[in-house]
Amino acid sequence: MSQPAIIVQDIKRSFRSVKKEEGFKGTMKLLFNPEYLTHDALKGVTFTVAPGEFVGLIGANGAGKTTLLKILSGLIPPSSGEAKVLGHIPFERSLAYRKEISLVMGQKAQLWWDLPALEAFDLLRALYQIPKDVYKKRIDELTTLLDVTRLLNTQIRRLSLGERMKMEVIGAIIHLPKVIFLDEPTIGLDVLASKKLREFLKAHNQKEGATIILTSHNMDDISELCKRILLVKEGAMIYDGSPVTFTNQDECMLRIKLNTEPEMSDIAATLSIMETFVTKDEEDPTTYILNVARSKVAEHLQKLLLKYQVVDIGIQEPSLERVIQRIYSQ
Amino acid sequence: MISSLNLFWHLEWRIAAIRNGVRDALAYRGDFLLDFFGQAIVPVGIQLILWNSIFKSSGMSTFAGMTYAQLLAYTWTSVLFSQVRGGNYDFNLIELIRTGGLSVYMLRPVGVIEFTFFRGFGEKLFTATLCFALGAIATCFTSMTITNLIMGMMLAILGNLIHYLFGSALASIAFYWENAFAVLMVKNMAVSLLSGELIPLSIVPEKYAWVWQNTPFYLFVYGPTQVALGKWDHHLWFHHMGIGFLWLFAFWGMIKISWGISMKHYQGMGG
Repeated sequence: MSQPAIIVQDIKRSFRSVKKEEGFKGTMKLLFNPEYLTHDALKGVTFTVAPGEFVGLIGANGAGKTTLLKILSGLIPPSSGEAKVLGHIPFERSLAYRKEISLVMGQKAQLWWDLPALEAFDLLRALYQIPKDVYKKRIDELTTLLDVTRLLNTQIRRLSLGERMKMEVIGAIIHLPKVIFLDEPTIGLDVLASKKLREFLKAHNQKEGATIILTSHNMDDISELCKRILLVKEGAMIYDGSPVTFTNQDECMLRIKLNTEPEMSDIAATLSIMETFVTKDEEDPTTYILNVARSKVAEHLQKLLLKYQVVDIGIQEPSLERVIQRIYSQ
Repeated sequence: MISSLNLFWHLEWRIAAIRNGVRDALAYRGDFLLDFFGQAIVPVGIQLILWNSIFKSSGMSTFAGMTYAQLLAYTWTSVLFSQVRGGNYDFNLIELIRTGGLSVYMLRPVGVIEFTFFRGFGEKLFTATLCFALGAIATCFTSMTITNLIMGMMLAILGNLIHYLFGSALASIAFYWENAFAVLMVKNMAVSLLSGELIPLSIVPEKYAWVWQNTPFYLFVYGPTQVALGKWDHHLWFHHMGIGFLWLFAFWGMIKISWGISMKHYQGMGG
């Protein structure tokens, strides 16, 4: 069996910040006697990733996903614990390591705003020692796949968000890194642009065998690309496994059609579940989809039959988004 | 040992970074030209008003050993070099640290300080070429020679490098303070005064001359102007170039230490 591409062993990371209080008094206090707050972003995370794996790293805002990616890409050191990527300790930031990895940050431009993408790619070619003929072939291939060839000579700042993100991804993988960290690459993109980017990433992972860790709040990204998910909550890893197993764990979607149209809050109150777990079918206002525990289906059905006139009943597997939503809200 | 392939790469990425920096600087030609000429107006204006007032009100024929014509020659020549000494790339470093933009540079397989320098230097090299061209035109009407102009420009470019390294070493404070613009503002004010950009340093009274003589700042504007005006011979030029290289190595060492320690405090803000 091959060595893991990424090894994370009991990683912890804390950040210290100054407490800023309101008003003039707060300003004076900040000036003469600042108070510091410590925030534990990661509380002992452990996992490994095999070469070529496409892993989804998910969690609510502030869960510690980006901190973990920053540690793995060598931008910040962990407070304790050990991380190894391709046999390198990331924060040593060796030249060889930096040539083998890439980080795409959806919220941070890596290409130069006032220059066309082609100028930036040319500089990246020189930085990563890519032979000119290989570079030309690769640019042709990548821009064709992502449908941005015609935009190569346009200033980055004049591109749409989707076009810019495609250029960012090309810039990040132009040197064919062995490990790619993608931090919300589809943020703000429309459905079509997200889909195109997903197809591209999937094909790239299969063709080049790159190990990829993807963070995203778009569950379509995760369910379409990742065979494995790591779920982080408040700095701790609470799930590591297949998204299928994850969604099958202990809940299901109960689909009921009524002959009336009660408020969703009424149904939630009847079943003693949170209102967010009740939704209406977009096409049929009398059909409701309830996110319920598998073990309580019979009990819920009994309550529903007692209170409403149920026309139809069905059970379906919950979407990843639904399950994640439930976990975030707990 | 560096192989020839590696040597080629070391050279190639630096040239590519300079080229990229020039393109970036010239992306907006109007802004570049306004910046180029506009930055010269204030120091030149201040000096012209100052010399005019001093000579008219006092009726003196010389001031600090210089005639009115010599002071004017200093003012106009120094502006060629003060345009080269500047550059905001140390300010850029602080902004990158503060906003987390440094992450992008840290991921590249080259040194952050060097990469930022070469991208910024592209613009300065272009500025130096323009200044040299203007100086070359001036040689047709003044006693300045092309050789002296070249020597002066070389000293000014060395000064630019020293200035950047000094600013970059100071920029590492931003790893602790997050916002350290004031540090560089103070540095820039000191540099403006001690480089000879605002006044010829020969005006400074003898007993205070040690202040500017013991900093590298005089190599940025005053030194190159003296060379271009033929007041420093080749021997003195070599001597001050040597001093410049010593400062260069000193600041390079300072950066290695300050950034080596302070980068551990980098937080990569902004998602």
